[in-house]
Amino acid sequence: MAEQTYFDDVKEGQELPEFTIQPDKQQLVKFAAGSGDFNPLHFDEKFPMLKGMGIADNIVHGRFKYAQVGRIVFAFAGYKGRVKKFGVSYRGMDLINTPIKVKGVVTAKKQEGGENIVELDVWTEDADGKKTTPGTAVVALPSKG
Amino acid sequence: MAEVFEVTDEVKAQYGVEGPPWTYEATTTSIRMYARGIGSVDPIHYDVDFAKSQGFRSIVAPLGYIGTPTFHPDTNDGTFGFPRRAGGGARLNLPTKGLLDGGTETEYLDYICAGDMLVETSSLADVRVRGNMVFVTNEAVYKNQESGKVVAKQRLTSIHIG
Amino acid sequence: MSQVFFEDVAEGLEIPELKKNCSTQQLVLWAAGSGDFYQIHYDKDFAQGTGLPGLIVHGALKHAFLGQLVHDWMGPKGELRKFGCSYRGMDYPNEDIRCRGVVTKKYTENGKNFVELDIWTENPAGKKTSPGTATVALPSKN
Repeated sequence: MAEQTYFDDVKEGQELPEFTIQPDKQQLVKFAAGSGDFNPLHFDEKFPMLKGMGIADNIVHGRFKYAQVGRIVFAFAGYKGRVKKFGVSYRGMDLINTPIKVKGVVTAKKQEGGENIVELDVWTEDADGKKTTPGTAVVALPSKG
Repeated sequence: MAEVFEVTDEVKAQYGVEGPPWTYEATTTSIRMYARGIGSVDPIHYDVDFAKSQGFRSIVAPLGYIGTPTFHPDTNDGTFGFPRRAGGGARLNLPTKGLLDGGTETEYLDYICAGDMLVETSSLADVRVRGNMVFVTNEAVYKNQESGKVVAKQRLTSIHIG
Repeated sequence: MSQVFFEDVAEGLEIPELKKNCSTQQLVLWAAGSGDFYQIHYDKDFAQGTGLPGLIVHGALKHAFLGQLVHDWMGPKGELRKFGCSYRGMDYPNEDIRCRGVVTKKYTENGKNFVELDIWTENPAGKKTSPGTATVALPSKN
């Protein structure tokens, strides 16, 4: 359970608490179960499409990485915040059993339409530091006042 | 090299044309499975009493999960689960050598909680060709079946490789 | 779906066979449906690490196939009273699994018409990998 973030405490340039996830096959199979995406690309290393794409092992679902970005945004917003929008694009593949860092940084804070709006850059990063899933999020936060 | 796909006037004519609606379900079981699928341990996704104590109707869907499309073998794709329906760019004759996810963007107007039945409609928004890749963007709108209120809008880009 | 009647059934009758061949995707779908995420069914390295030759089909999935076999045969008016099997041999993805059954007994008790069956799954070598039995009540034509 995350601590509630308040608008008053947020600063531009502030980094969100990062975490790393290294999905194994069981994790990706559970994600297939939860998401309903049963593409064998993600769990069968002999799946012909992998070879056709010149990839050595199963690749992590883009939507899995999207959900990881969702976790960092949700943890930042807290139960009293509201996630208004979050999106990513899939710019690089991550392979199964490799570490994926999930990160975010505050890019702007403003009051708009009576709401306390915080804008974020959010992304996943592979072991080489490449942003494989860059994106942005918009969150409305409660204030202490 | 010839383009792998041409964005013709017929393709453009499909922009914004809504396909038939489809029902998506978010249940306690499906939300817990999705939360396990992403490795979350936040009790807001698992514990109904806890979620209610925090002011939610029931357990909350993790961000990224907007329910599971109702499934029937005659109407849904066996691999991805999505409905194979007309509209939403379904009639495009796209290359099939490879398929990748290009991007996902969700605008949330409300939380999605267990027990929600959502009605989704989608339409083709954009098609772009870059080299041997065709970027197809669909826009989906999810309404709460009971209240009729829009709860989420999504832009989904898939990359079809020829 | 057509209905089978008690009068149509004789001891020794073989019921229509159900043929299965599980892709790795089918095994993952079963994991999702059943909630059994044990890795020996979809992670080859894990399976081999436990001493298995490779991925194996879930026993409970074969049990479910036998359920489907009996369900399809007994028709909408048949009533399944009992069915079970034991797991005596392994089956592998992308290999045929023949689900078969044969009537072993028919009798009437308290006005109900019962049929007992031997049911089993069979691998390509002809070995019965999941032998079991089922008891169903069938409607009568009268």
